[in-house]
Amino acid sequence: MTPLLEVRGLTIRFGGLVAVCEVDLALNPSEVLCIIGPNGAGKSTLFNMISGIYRPSAGTVHLDGRDITGWPAHRIAAAGIARTFQSSRLFNDLTLIDNVVIGMHSRTKSGVLDALLRPGKARAELEAAAEKAGELIRAISPDLHARRNTLAGALPQADRRRLEIARALASDARVIMLDEPSSGMDDRDTDALMADVRRVMAERPGLSFLIIEHDMRLVAALPDRVAVIDYGRKIAEGDFADVRLMPRVQEAYLGQKAAEHA
Amino acid sequence: MADTAQATSALVRRNGPSADLAIVAGVELGSAILLWSFLLSDRTAVIVALLALMGGIFAALQLRPALEERIVAAFHDRKRFATLLGAVIVLIYPFFLQGSGYAFHLLIVSMLYAVLALALNFQLGSANIPNFATGASYGIGAYTSALLALNFGVSFWLTLPVAAVVATAFGFLLGFPSMRTKESYLALVTIAFGIVVHQLLNNFDWTGGPNGLVGIPAPELFGHSFARPIEAFGFRLPSQANFYYLSAALVGLSIVCAKRLHESRVGLAWNALRADPLAARCQGIDVVWFKMLAFGVDAFLAAFAGTIYAFYVSYISPDNFTFLVSVTIMTMVIVGGMDNTLGVIIGAFFLTMLPEKLRIFSDYRLLFVGVVVILFLILRPQGLFPQRARNYGEHR
Repeated sequence: MTPLLEVRGLTIRFGGLVAVCEVDLALNPSEVLCIIGPNGAGKSTLFNMISGIYRPSAGTVHLDGRDITGWPAHRIAAAGIARTFQSSRLFNDLTLIDNVVIGMHSRTKSGVLDALLRPGKARAELEAAAEKAGELIRAISPDLHARRNTLAGALPQADRRRLEIARALASDARVIMLDEPSSGMDDRDTDALMADVRRVMAERPGLSFLIIEHDMRLVAALPDRVAVIDYGRKIAEGDFADVRLMPRVQEAYLGQKAAEHA
Repeated sequence: MADTAQATSALVRRNGPSADLAIVAGVELGSAILLWSFLLSDRTAVIVALLALMGGIFAALQLRPALEERIVAAFHDRKRFATLLGAVIVLIYPFFLQGSGYAFHLLIVSMLYAVLALALNFQLGSANIPNFATGASYGIGAYTSALLALNFGVSFWLTLPVAAVVATAFGFLLGFPSMRTKESYLALVTIAFGIVVHQLLNNFDWTGGPNGLVGIPAPELFGHSFARPIEAFGFRLPSQANFYYLSAALVGLSIVCAKRLHESRVGLAWNALRADPLAARCQGIDVVWFKMLAFGVDAFLAAFAGTIYAFYVSYISPDNFTFLVSVTIMTMVIVGGMDNTLGVIIGAFFLTMLPEKLRIFSDYRLLFVGVVVILFLILRPQGLFPQRARNYGEHR
C-alpha cells in the first residue's frame, strides 16, 4: 500500500542550526500517527515544512504519490493537507461560521468578477458553504453551534481548538495535522477531542491524522503508531506500549541519569 | 452579546412592522436634515451646536447598543424601502440647496472622497493593507482621462473605463513589489509610489508639469452639456447639479461593489488575511493574489473618482493628488469605521465638510478638526460605525 503522506529525509537548517534532520515518516490512509518528543525537539518545525510554511533544506514530501516539496502553503492546503496551530490561530474578529467558511476557500470558486457581475451565484455558493459550516460546527459541539454568529475571539481555549478542527475539516482535507490539540483542555475536553477524531475518521474513510501531542493519556489511547523526535531526529517509531520502554525515548524525556533509574 | 440580542428581539416584538418603517424614515430624513442644516449654515454657533448634536447621537449609540441594534434591524428588514427612500432623498436634495454653488461643491467633493474612501476600504478595512497611494491612483485616473479628452477628444463616458483600466494596471504594478513587504514596510512602499507619481506628474512635459492640465471639456449626455444648468419642473439647478447626480451615481455603484465583494468569498479571504495572514495561507488562500486584487480594486474605483473630479473642476494639477490626499482618505476610513460601508461614507463626508465649516478659526482650522476627530474617536473608539458580522441564510 502506498502511504497517503510520505516524508523522506526531511531536513531544515536555520543558519548553522539543524532544526530537523533527515526525518522519515509514512502516514497510511485512515491512520492516526502521533509525534511526541520534548519541547524544542523540532516537531512543530516538521509540521511547518509539511504544510509549506517553511521550505525544507533537503528531503521530500509526497502526498498520495505527488511530490509537493517546496510548494507554497496555499497550494498544499488546496492539495489536501489541513492543519491547526499550537497557539490556535483563528480569525478572531470574524464569526465562528465565517472562520469555518474560510476553511472551504479552496473548495469554492467565486472571484471578484463573479461577486460583482453574478452576485446571485456568488451569494448562493457562500450560503451553501455557510450551511455546511453550520453542520460541521454542530457535529463538533452543539454549544459552539449555538454561538456560531458570535466572534471567534471571545471563545475559551478548548472551544478555540474545537473550532480550529472544524475549520480544518471544512477543507475536505485528506490529512489533518493537529499541533498539540489538547493543550488548554481538561480531561473531559480531551476525551471529547478523542471521540471527535474517532467519529470524524469513521465518517470520512481514508482521512488520516498527524498529531503532535504531550498528553500521554491521549498518546496511549488514540494513535495507531507513535514517532518520537528528539534534537530534530526521529529516534523511535512504533506502538506506544513498545516505544515508551525504549531507553533512548526515556532518556529524551527524563534525561540520561533518571532513565537509568527508571 | 446574548443580552443585547435578547433586548433587541424583545424590542422587535414590542413594535411591529410599521415601527420599522417609521424608524427607517426617521433616521434617513433626520440625517438628511442634519446634513442640510450643516451645509447651509455659516454661523459658528449653529455649526458647533450641530456638531454637539452629532456627538450626542453617537454617544447615545455607544451607551445604548440596543438602540443601534434596533435601527440596524429595522434597516435590515426594510431594505427595499430604505434604499428607495434614500434614492428619492438623493434625487430631490439639490432642490433644497437654494442654488448655493458652495453647498453643491461640498457635496460633490464629499461624494468623490466617499468613493475614494470606499476604494481604500477594500484594502485598509477588509484586508489591513496600509495603502498610502490611493491619492496616486486617483491622480492617475484624473490625468489619464484628462489627457485622453484634451489630446484625442475622447468623450468623458469613454475615458471613464479607460482611466479605470490604466489605474488598475498601475495598482497591480504597485502591488507587485509590495508583496515582498508587510505592515510598516508595505506602507513605506506605497508612500514611495505616491510620491513618485506626484513627482512624475510634476516633471513630465506632457502632463503640463506643475501647471497641470487646463480646459478639460465638460461632459455631455444626450446633447445636454454638463456645463449648463438643469431646468426641470420649473426649477433651475446650477450646473454643478449635473456633477452632483453623476457623483451620486458613482457612490451608488461603489456601495453596490462594496456590498457584493464584502458578502462574497473574496471579502472573506481579505478578512482572513487581515486577521492572520499565516493562518489564511494554511486555509488555501493565495495571499499574494488576494493582496494584488485589493490593490487593483482600490485603483479601479479611485480612477472613477479621479475622472469625475477632472471633468468637474476642468483643471487638474499634481497638487490635487499629493501624499496628504492619501492620508486624508485613510483618516476617513479609520474615523468612519473600518470595513463598514456606511461608516466609511460618513467618515468621508464628515472629514471633507468639517475643515470647510470651521473656516472661522482660519489658521487654527486644522487644529480644531483634529480636536473634533479625537473627540469623536473617544466617543466611538472603533470608528463612527464599526464593522458588523455577516449574516447568512436571511436572504430569500
